[in-house]
Amino acid sequence: MRQKVMIGMLVLAAVILMRNLYVISVLPDEVNQGQIFRIIFFHVPAAIIAMTGSAVALIASVLFLIRKDFFYDSLAVAVTEVGLAFLAVNLVTGSIWARVIWGVWWAWDARLTSALICWVLYAGYLILRQALDEPTQRATFAAVYSIFAFVDVPIVIFSIRWWRTLHPQPVFFSKSGSFPKDWTSALVVNMLALALLYAVLTMIRLRQEQTQREIDYLRRTAHAM
Amino acid sequence: MNLHFLMPLAALLQAPDDAIRDEIARLQRNFQGLIWGFVAAWVILLLYTSMIVVRERKIRREMERLKNMVEDAEKKS
Repeated sequence: MRQKVMIGMLVLAAVILMRNLYVISVLPDEVNQGQIFRIIFFHVPAAIIAMTGSAVALIASVLFLIRKDFFYDSLAVAVTEVGLAFLAVNLVTGSIWARVIWGVWWAWDARLTSALICWVLYAGYLILRQALDEPTQRATFAAVYSIFAFVDVPIVIFSIRWWRTLHPQPVFFSKSGSFPKDWTSALVVNMLALALLYAVLTMIRLRQEQTQREIDYLRRTAHAM
Repeated sequence: MNLHFLMPLAALLQAPDDAIRDEIARLQRNFQGLIWGFVAAWVILLLYTSMIVVRERKIRREMERLKNMVEDAEKKS
């Protein structure tokens, strides 16, 4: 049943993305940027999804520390790992956009730097997990680390409001936004499709983590015999 | 005869060659950037998905091996 739901979600995401690729391609070019502005339809949803994943990881980590239930530890690692892939999409697409518009691949401004730090912090979370063998110790250390890593997320989100940055100001869902309605709806639909993909990948990773726990248990049993 | 619709074409023909070449190059860079952006996004997601698939196979094989091991050990004891 769960597998069928996942396949259904994946097919739905693929159909929406295919349809939206056409919708995005027939939108008129942005006056100043030309065609390259269309990267925003992947760049922004990837960032929003990755940041949401970080928030879920924070909640799961806190719940693990309170309840000591390994399900929350598995959930935290699943959302973090998939979120890291989406944040990589965000960083790489942003860098390609910057090369065309700014003429450079990278600028050390507040938004870009804090987003890169965020990626490095969550990559560190996964490395930390690899370094610890004892399951309870690993889950506890990782949960505490994840809570501290989340401190960077509000900095990433609000950096463009707090400091003067090279990165553009928000153009969707903001009072100063200048994007027309059909562009916003294309973005929302793309975000929905990518969120479905994120959910499916997270469900698979969650199941893998739980199976891995069973494997660890079986290994201990086998060694004890 | 009203030939107003030909005015942009006339302006383009009168523009210096360098300016036209620069504009064509800019549009080309812009389009290439967009294609690379889309390709990069999908390559990252596909690479990550294939990593998950490989891990899934590894986990299943390991699970099977351990189950057989435990069953064999139980039979012997």
